[in-house]
Amino acid sequence: MARVVILGAGISGHTAALHLKRRLKRAHEVIVVSPNADWNWIPSNIWVGVGRMTTQQVTFPLRPIYRRKGIDFRQARAAAIRPEGDGDSDSGSVDIAYTDPVRLGEEERLTYDFLINATGPKLNFAATPGLGPDGNSLSVCTAKHAEQTAAAFDKVVEALQRGERQTLVVGVGHGACTCEGAAFEYTFNVENELRARGVRELADVVYLTNEYDLGDFGVGGMSFAQNGFVTSSKMWTESLFRERNVRAILQAHVERVDPGVIHYEQLDGTKGSLEFDFAMLLPPFRGADLKAYDRQGGDITADLFAPNGFLKVDADYAAKPFEDWKAEDWPRTYQCPLYRNVFGVGIAFAPPHPISRPRSSPDGTVISPAPPRTGMPSGVMGRVVAHSIADRIERGETAPLQTASMASMGAACIASAGAGMRTGSAAAMTMYPIVPDTARFPVSGRSLKETTGEIGLGAHWTKLLLHYLFIYKAKGRPGWFLIPE
Amino acid sequence: MDDAARSIAEAPLPTRRTLRARSSLPFQVLRFVAFNIRMLRMVKKGHH
Repeated sequence: MARVVILGAGISGHTAALHLKRRLKRAHEVIVVSPNADWNWIPSNIWVGVGRMTTQQVTFPLRPIYRRKGIDFRQARAAAIRPEGDGDSDSGSVDIAYTDPVRLGEEERLTYDFLINATGPKLNFAATPGLGPDGNSLSVCTAKHAEQTAAAFDKVVEALQRGERQTLVVGVGHGACTCEGAAFEYTFNVENELRARGVRELADVVYLTNEYDLGDFGVGGMSFAQNGFVTSSKMWTESLFRERNVRAILQAHVERVDPGVIHYEQLDGTKGSLEFDFAMLLPPFRGADLKAYDRQGGDITADLFAPNGFLKVDADYAAKPFEDWKAEDWPRTYQCPLYRNVFGVGIAFAPPHPISRPRSSPDGTVISPAPPRTGMPSGVMGRVVAHSIADRIERGETAPLQTASMASMGAACIASAGAGMRTGSAAAMTMYPIVPDTARFPVSGRSLKETTGEIGLGAHWTKLLLHYLFIYKAKGRPGWFLIPE
Repeated sequence: MDDAARSIAEAPLPTRRTLRARSSLPFQVLRFVAFNIRMLRMVKKGHH
């Protein structure tokens, strides 16, 4: 009997667990280790953050699902990987510390035959002084954060109803953040909600970002073929900002968030500050705090993980200038090159480089988006790695690994711009491939046929449809595997 | 006015007809179907 241990139960880890158990049945053991008891459909947190959904609508407990599927669930945090085993065993193992209230404080060493690191991001609020719910700004990264943010938003609306002017800032809280798409979505949901509550006139809505241009979204922007012209996501996004009267501060690195004041530096070196009544700023991400040790207990963390804490996989990590970046730099199998039974998927794998052009201020502050790894590619990675491992368990070590490079994978991004079955709106974008490949697509690095963008009510329905479909899928309901990642 | 504000101020503003189309139920039903077909095509093409 083989044992597969999966660290993390987010989109990629949970997808991997469901596919593995479906393939391996009861003959083999699948263990999921996650510090959280609940699964969260994170893309809908923006709706929790404006009071349009509740935490219960975007989360569900994992334990009953795993019990039904025969997956062993440990509510615990992974602390260290021992890929060579330890003095007692040759099998690789993981040290875990229970966060389960019933076993709180207990530690355990779990051996594995295959390991999937799907730990997702560590929300690195500490990178910016004063950033985050424990500081002076808000977040929608977790359902609990989003709930707190909704309560703060209600207070701002009350102030507006009393006739007090309010400044609402939404964006990213560090020069090296990713997930600009989520910040964009929350900006326009806030703006839409202010209009719906009849208090838009006294509100100044500001989008603060590390993007060089609007519409970059951490993927270097997109080009669309529309009405006989190749147009850019920049123009398309700016049009929405103009239509909705939202201000933008671009190319910004937030240095510090004081109570009611954001201090930032811009790419040209200028410093600015912005007073606010409400600020939702996303944090930068880094890898989970995982250590790695060899058989003798020597620290090999730097061999397995990049300096940002993400697991190194089959990518080309050689430093090279932007002009030399290639689609082939990106990983295909997500297998760790040092230990062939270890894989990294979703946000947990180390990208070889950003997708947007890297830039820094005269002082050397990096102000450019990190590459996003959204739900669609994360789910696909989880699935292909699950099948690769199942193939190797069933057919032996020579079974070929399945592949899914972000340079040959497309993605659909639905950026909500307001909720409501009749009044909602969203920007629906597709891009193919996610990582530009100028060798295949010389004009813009992506297929002009498959890279599209449109705004409308129908896109909001799609976002809502995906909300229900993916929660159905994640609950492992009948036919779940027929819903593509 | 800074560069970002200038760029936004010069961006194309949707006409009333475009705004109507974005919220027109029959038209958006068609766009909803079209977008979902496009997504499925991408899944088939890129997710192997």
